[in-house]
Amino acid sequence: MAWSSVGLDPASPSTSVPFLPRRTRHFPVKPPPAMAMLSLSSRPLASLRPNRPNPPLHRLLRPKPLASTSASALTPPTPLSDPTPPPDADPTPLFLRPATHPAPAAALAAFRRRAAALVPPSAPHLHRHLRWLLAAAAAAADPSSDPALLRAPLGDLEAMWARHVRDRRPFQYVVGNEHWRDLVVAVRDGVLIPRPETEAVVDMVRNVEGFADGWWADLGTGSGAIAVAVARELGPEGKVFAVDVSEVAIEVARLNVQRYGMQDKVEIRHGSWFEPLEDVKGKLMGVISNPPYIPTDDLPRLQPEVGWHEPKLALDGGKDGLEHLLHLCEGLSSVLKPGGFFVFETNGNKQSEFLVDLISTKWSSSFHNVEAVLDFAEIKRFVTGYRR
Amino acid sequence: MASRLLTRSAAARLLSHLRRRTPDPTHPLLIYGAALASLLGPIGDLPAAADSALLRYPARWFSSSSTAAVTKAPMTADGLTVDSIAGKGWTILPEAESDWRSHAAAVAQSIKLIKKRLKWGWILERTKQLAVVLERPDLWDDPVFAGRVSREHGELMGKIKSVNQFEQELIEHIEMLRLAREENDNELETESMSALADMRRSAKEKELNAILSGENDSCSCFIEVQAGAGGTESMDWAAMVMNMYRSWAQRRGYTVTVVEEMPGEIAGIKRATIKVDGEYAFGYAKAEVGVHRLVRISPFDSGKRRHTSFAAVAVIPILGAASSRYQIKDSDLRIERFRSGGPGGQHANTTESAIRIVHVPTGITATCQNERSQHMNKASAMAVLQSRLDQLEIARQAQMNAEHTQSLNEISWGNQIRSYVLHPYRMVKDLRTNYEVSDPDSVLEGDLDEFILNYLSSSLDEADGTTLLDGD
Repeated sequence: MAWSSVGLDPASPSTSVPFLPRRTRHFPVKPPPAMAMLSLSSRPLASLRPNRPNPPLHRLLRPKPLASTSASALTPPTPLSDPTPPPDADPTPLFLRPATHPAPAAALAAFRRRAAALVPPSAPHLHRHLRWLLAAAAAAADPSSDPALLRAPLGDLEAMWARHVRDRRPFQYVVGNEHWRDLVVAVRDGVLIPRPETEAVVDMVRNVEGFADGWWADLGTGSGAIAVAVARELGPEGKVFAVDVSEVAIEVARLNVQRYGMQDKVEIRHGSWFEPLEDVKGKLMGVISNPPYIPTDDLPRLQPEVGWHEPKLALDGGKDGLEHLLHLCEGLSSVLKPGGFFVFETNGNKQSEFLVDLISTKWSSSFHNVEAVLDFAEIKRFVTGYRR
Repeated sequence: MASRLLTRSAAARLLSHLRRRTPDPTHPLLIYGAALASLLGPIGDLPAAADSALLRYPARWFSSSSTAAVTKAPMTADGLTVDSIAGKGWTILPEAESDWRSHAAAVAQSIKLIKKRLKWGWILERTKQLAVVLERPDLWDDPVFAGRVSREHGELMGKIKSVNQFEQELIEHIEMLRLAREENDNELETESMSALADMRRSAKEKELNAILSGENDSCSCFIEVQAGAGGTESMDWAAMVMNMYRSWAQRRGYTVTVVEEMPGEIAGIKRATIKVDGEYAFGYAKAEVGVHRLVRISPFDSGKRRHTSFAAVAVIPILGAASSRYQIKDSDLRIERFRSGGPGGQHANTTESAIRIVHVPTGITATCQNERSQHMNKASAMAVLQSRLDQLEIARQAQMNAEHTQSLNEISWGNQIRSYVLHPYRMVKDLRTNYEVSDPDSVLEGDLDEFILNYLSSSLDEADGTTLLDGD
């Protein structure tokens, strides 16, 4: 079993670059100006989605977004180095599309051979992806039926596969989901793919005394993974407010909430951080957030799957990566009720240490038991604490 | 022979005669007053004495008057017994062929196997001893002991009786069939033939139950294959072996899932584990434990030289919720997830979902990487770990069955069980049973049942004392 790095860029930005500002920066590429703008505010990004010719049913059925701020002039081009629109412009995740495209066994086998031939020897994990892609694309009923029924025409699958292998579009975007905890979370371009580290947040919430009947806020919910997972643990009085500024995120979160039947437990609100929570100020048992925390300067060196394809909005933490985290810390005391709990995910050791230090000195009168919590790789990934 | 003189009307008399020859072994007199058995009179007055092979049991056992009655082998009028049929080496044709010899031989083989499984020699000896005890006049002074002895005696007699009845039935069918042939009675012949065929099917069933009567035989199992030294060629061989088991299991109607697979760099696998779900999966698969050897011209050798490679196979039963399960404490587990090694979090995108669970006190680990979901991998890895620990527990509780409870690491590479030769000749030979076939392709496509059944029945030979006691 290889427990070493697979498919990751050797450069590890956060460990090689100090998170505190320094004059000595040496970037191979200058960050585009758009990114600098992006880091200044938390703004919607939705308008740049490629054309969607056929809105799927679940999108037609849902109400319009609460606010339509999507035409902001600040929206940066994204994905960064991904000029061609994806061939599967249908925003319905592949695994949820109806299996209506017959593919004869021979054609399927030929596709499998061609697809496997694209995999470089250095990337054995791609063979696994191919297997998973075919499993996700085929109708669940009878795998051996001929012709097999697929959720997309073979030609589309082939284009999607090529984009995964050549352009390094994340596999999760290709099949439209990520397995996260015991959930299958729908994702698509424009929404951050939930990370395995973040799974631990749900366990931390569950350890809070009386959590089940409290009101919780998941700020920057993205796909809604945390909100849905927490909601599933809640009692009859419990509730989660899932907030995001991105309209794509709102759509995807709504889909995930519906898929797990959590409409009564999760209330989705459109807006930036605390803005849509005015009416519940001082009433929250907890605040959860996995905000953008990567220092802007580190963005050009991200793994291609992340840097080229995932939304900058969900990654870019501004200078030092602390911009949003600091904003969250400042607003925290006014939304939490006394005894309320918070947990933030951070960029790792130094950010966590900095935040713990800051909160327990600057706001020592408002918070107690502030600490950095390790993730499964022994990195201080989270900051948690309680409102006095 | 006598039967030639028989008329159709004599058949009934013959049958009743045959039946009379085997007194009811559970007759109260036999159990509670074995001495009285001698009063039943001599029984060796039949014209069978010609075939000396028939007399194996009689010669050794019939000297004791008490058990003699029940161990007398049923015999046709011309001296055929079940043992002699089994010993004649008649070709066993498929069931569909209407050949009485073939049916009879198949049934006789099954009976022989069932006897082995029952440890027939031991049963007869034991029954004899018990009968001696039961004869003692002071037996009932200790009612508890007496009760135990008579109960055991009764149980053994019951087993003997059911086997004898089965033998009796076979002999009767053969007699009827001969009779029908001699009388040119087509109706009776068809009837008897189909009765024989029915018997053959039920004998096969009884035989299987007899072979697969180990404690965990009915369980599902994990099959693990590991490539031996020798690089790509042996990794390719390991993959071929794994495929062989997959198709074997699928042919048998078992469900196969890949639990863990460590691919080789160029081809094949370094190691893999599959889960085989279904009745008696372990009972059959345990016959495959050991080292499998391949000889062929390696497709990975540009010099086209002949290579010998090895793959080791381990089989682990998946126990039900029985009491023998190892109790795992959560605090003893260390659960390791894949680590990217980089800064992690939002920096990394990986679909790596492998989970490794370490049982700290024993150092035993289990890995699963098959599923996309880490959650499901964890569940699978836990199941593997549970089974490995169960296996350890079985080994600890009983030092027997050692062969089946070996893990992959413990299998000695010297312990070769089967050889697959693709060049210069073509043959698969089991080194334990010497069973061989000349069509390696079909074996590699999963046609393993004959190998497995041969091994299972030969391993009964070793377990049974009959061979020794009979002196053959």
